[in-house]
Amino acid sequence: MIDTLFSAFVFPGLLYVLVWTVGLFWFFRKFMAALHKRVGPSFNGKAGSYQTLFDLSKLLTKESITPDGVNPYLFSIMPLLAVIIAMLPAAFIPWMDGLVVVDSDYGLLALVILIGIEPFLLFLTGFGSNNKYSFLGGVRILTQSISMETAFFLSALSPALLFGTMNLTQIVEQSSWFSFLILFPGLAMYFVALLGLLEQPPFNIPDAEQEIVYGFYTEYSGTNYFLLKLAEFAEFMAVFAGATALFLGAYKGIFFDSYFFFFMKMLGIAMLMMTIRAATPRITLAQMLSFSWKYMVPLALLNLAWVLFAKSLWFMGA
Amino acid sequence: MENVRKIIENFTCEYVENYKKTWLKAKLSSKDDLLNLSEAIKKEGLRSLSTVSPTDFLEDNIMEMNYFFEDLDTKRNLWLKVDLPRDKEGCKIESLTPLFASANWHEREAFSMFGVQFLNHPDLREIIKSEDFKGVYPFRKDFDWDAHEKNQTQNIQQIVDAFKKEQNENEKDLDPDSSETILNWGPTHPASGPIRLRVHCDGEEVISIDPDIGYVWRALEHLVTKKDFVGAIVAVERLCFMDNINSMVGYCMAVEEIAEVEITPFASWMRVLLGEVARVSSHFMGLGGFFNNMGLHTLGMWNMDTREFFLDFLESYSGARIATASIEPGGVRYGLDMSMFDELQKALDKFDNSVGEVEAVFVKNPTMKLRSDNVGILTKEEVHEFGLSGIVARASGVKTDIRIDEPYAAYGELDLEYITQEKGSAKDRFMMLFLDLKQSVEIIKKAKAHIEKAVADAKMNPTKDHMVKVPKKLPKGEAISRVEWARGEVLMHLVTEEKAKTPYRLKMRAPSFNHTMMLNHLLKGQTLADIPLIFGSLYICQGDLDR
Amino acid sequence: MLKILDFFDYAKSESLWMAHFCTGCCSLEMAAAMGPRYDWERYGYLPTPTPRQADVLMITGLVSKKILPALLRTYAQMPEPKYVVAMGACSFDGGPYNDSLSVIKNPTEILPADVFIAGCPPKPEAIIEGLEQVKQKIKNGEPSAASQGGLWKEMEF
Repeated sequence: MIDTLFSAFVFPGLLYVLVWTVGLFWFFRKFMAALHKRVGPSFNGKAGSYQTLFDLSKLLTKESITPDGVNPYLFSIMPLLAVIIAMLPAAFIPWMDGLVVVDSDYGLLALVILIGIEPFLLFLTGFGSNNKYSFLGGVRILTQSISMETAFFLSALSPALLFGTMNLTQIVEQSSWFSFLILFPGLAMYFVALLGLLEQPPFNIPDAEQEIVYGFYTEYSGTNYFLLKLAEFAEFMAVFAGATALFLGAYKGIFFDSYFFFFMKMLGIAMLMMTIRAATPRITLAQMLSFSWKYMVPLALLNLAWVLFAKSLWFMGA
Repeated sequence: MENVRKIIENFTCEYVENYKKTWLKAKLSSKDDLLNLSEAIKKEGLRSLSTVSPTDFLEDNIMEMNYFFEDLDTKRNLWLKVDLPRDKEGCKIESLTPLFASANWHEREAFSMFGVQFLNHPDLREIIKSEDFKGVYPFRKDFDWDAHEKNQTQNIQQIVDAFKKEQNENEKDLDPDSSETILNWGPTHPASGPIRLRVHCDGEEVISIDPDIGYVWRALEHLVTKKDFVGAIVAVERLCFMDNINSMVGYCMAVEEIAEVEITPFASWMRVLLGEVARVSSHFMGLGGFFNNMGLHTLGMWNMDTREFFLDFLESYSGARIATASIEPGGVRYGLDMSMFDELQKALDKFDNSVGEVEAVFVKNPTMKLRSDNVGILTKEEVHEFGLSGIVARASGVKTDIRIDEPYAAYGELDLEYITQEKGSAKDRFMMLFLDLKQSVEIIKKAKAHIEKAVADAKMNPTKDHMVKVPKKLPKGEAISRVEWARGEVLMHLVTEEKAKTPYRLKMRAPSFNHTMMLNHLLKGQTLADIPLIFGSLYICQGDLDR
Repeated sequence: MLKILDFFDYAKSESLWMAHFCTGCCSLEMAAAMGPRYDWERYGYLPTPTPRQADVLMITGLVSKKILPALLRTYAQMPEPKYVVAMGACSFDGGPYNDSLSVIKNPTEILPADVFIAGCPPKPEAIIEGLEQVKQKIKNGEPSAASQGGLWKEMEF
């Protein structure tokens, strides 16, 4: 009982996600500022480390506006649902040796499905906002997630194919430097699809500020916006952790195994994502669609073939 | 030029005379000839109508229309005048919009401000003005501004009511069965600035765009008539803050022409130097804005970093970073302390050190090319037809640059070359902006070296040569001046009365006005994602759009 | 309990997000204040794309007659508590456009501002200082000026 509560509210549950959100938000701003030749948050706490804590706390106490003509229940329940769904994948991730909340044989499946549901909830937030820009944002996120998720799922399947299991713990245990090399094309594809799924540049089409104001976020304020932000960062965590567990050997380190390595690997992916964000403009919806279906999906299928081939070559014999 | 003169002399004119090197000035006797004459000179090659500027002579009971025709290829220009009666019934003239597409908004503006009726205009609605001026013409000399101002509360309520009504009835005329809808892109939009585009769209596809402008209308052309000739520079420089120096240069040239004053070589070189510094600081914003509109703020930030150093120079020279007010009729306002050039040298060094990384990361950016290479294409023909200028015209391969066509200040002594691009797409306009920026920096270096050398040779005295006296009262006269502004050609048309202390009329033809006219043309059938991109690539400043 | 509430009040004062709305030329210097040299993010200021998430509305310079309804509506769209900062001479008395026939000379009588920032345009340092004063005002627990009065309450927009 205590264990369940602990994992629901402390690690890897609510508190962990909150700390992660505050920390990653700060890290994003600081890292982005450095790429902009700026300083970033600086005066609140050491190197501005309290800044995002203040920002998020402020959102909690601000007025949450429900616009005219929307269904208030749909409008307010969606952010909450989005947070819960975005936090669930953390339960399937092997954070440390033996530390996994739900050790399921279908962990990978649960992971990709829970990540895949999220965009539909965000679509509903846009749909329920009674705002043209929100609605356009909602439609865009739906279009984008359908086309990007296909590639995402296919590339996430490659480790399962290689190791013959969908149990994340077993995947991590079997992973090695050699398997990392075999799975590297899969990782690259997973990363590109991840950018699309998380609405990061060049695929930040659903919340394109300059085109449709803020997409599905446009009408959200106060606590509701806080919850949506929380959901966004929880989803970052789920997807980064997924990449780390599937391709990068999770907690496996150089001299010893620890959560520290898990965290550093996630941070590495985040930094790569931010660098791309600082140097790549947004592409259009049509370009994203053709990129996804013309290149990503066929390449992901080819990658599966490569993994099968590699498996028959080096793993079957042993 | 002779051909144009022959054509004009076929019609009855009060006078035809040469004006400056590239201009022909003529006055038609009858307004009925206007349409035929325009058609003839359009065939001859003067295909662009720069602007339409009415001048209201209250005492003579005349509304004098000024048309400025340009040929961007052969650099022949025509200034055509024709008189109209002032009263509301008689103040009518044939519209030139069917012949010159660029006349469209300029005629609408003349209609809104002066009440000149244009016959056969396809879309003669009021433009720029706010709701409380509906049906009255604020730029007419007999418009009683004080009486209008007394009802200010009521006026504001009228504006607010009209706004509410418009927002509520926005989509009234749309077919309820279609999925067409109207998006208000601005004025509270992250990328728009104070302009509103009514975007008719079907999902992601744009059907048509109707720009609604006037959100920063300050009636500058009216404001200068309340100030003296020196005070007017405050209004003129606020045409757009990003490049304020060159607009002041244009105005001062017009005043000096009427006063018949020659400025010193030092002052003209300083005008080149300061003008190019202002152009550079404007182009930095433009380059950043282009990428900002694609969701990438890094270039904007990097440029802002370099731009600060150029502003430092302006600050050390004039005391202000942006509102320098440093060009005055008769020269430049302040003498130069040669140590101020140290600041400029710092800025130039900073630019030289940072331009490489900008080029590597952004100018050669593949995603940017993917996005912008095939959208917003303007052909050469369209440039002529719509009277576009500056960056936008040169990106389409039209060789036009007032600095070379009609050299002013000390530009005649510089060896400048036209920089052009071929295709006229959004990417080409970005490239053009970047190349123009580099060219400007080269000019700054040359001007700086020239001034330094002349001062060392004691040919210039930087602390005394900066001004010649311009009388406070000017004779009756009129003049036009053209400058290459950061966004394109600015044409100033200044009219003065006998012993005037204030300008009687100042028309500022600003490039963004023409460029904004292109939005509907360029965006029809494109997607929503192209709106900010093309809007950014046209390098529009709302300040000179509304004036 | 009191301590926790105090913390939230403090957080409110230290995190000011701006609505993105430019009415005039001063937005140019606002952009400079965001830039690398002045970098107002050091103090925790952040521009937001939509007024729904903003705390501060900046009147950047002149308010023309035409833009006034949009300005008021943007203010109404912001969630409480919200503050108004007026930048530049124009927003105080029309500044250089005092004689102009299309600029509202007293926009802050319609929408009272908490802090005025002087200058034409104000320097980026001044903008940051002005925003620091808004922070101080929130820390002191003063209500915003616009909530105390102003003609905007009588208008329907």
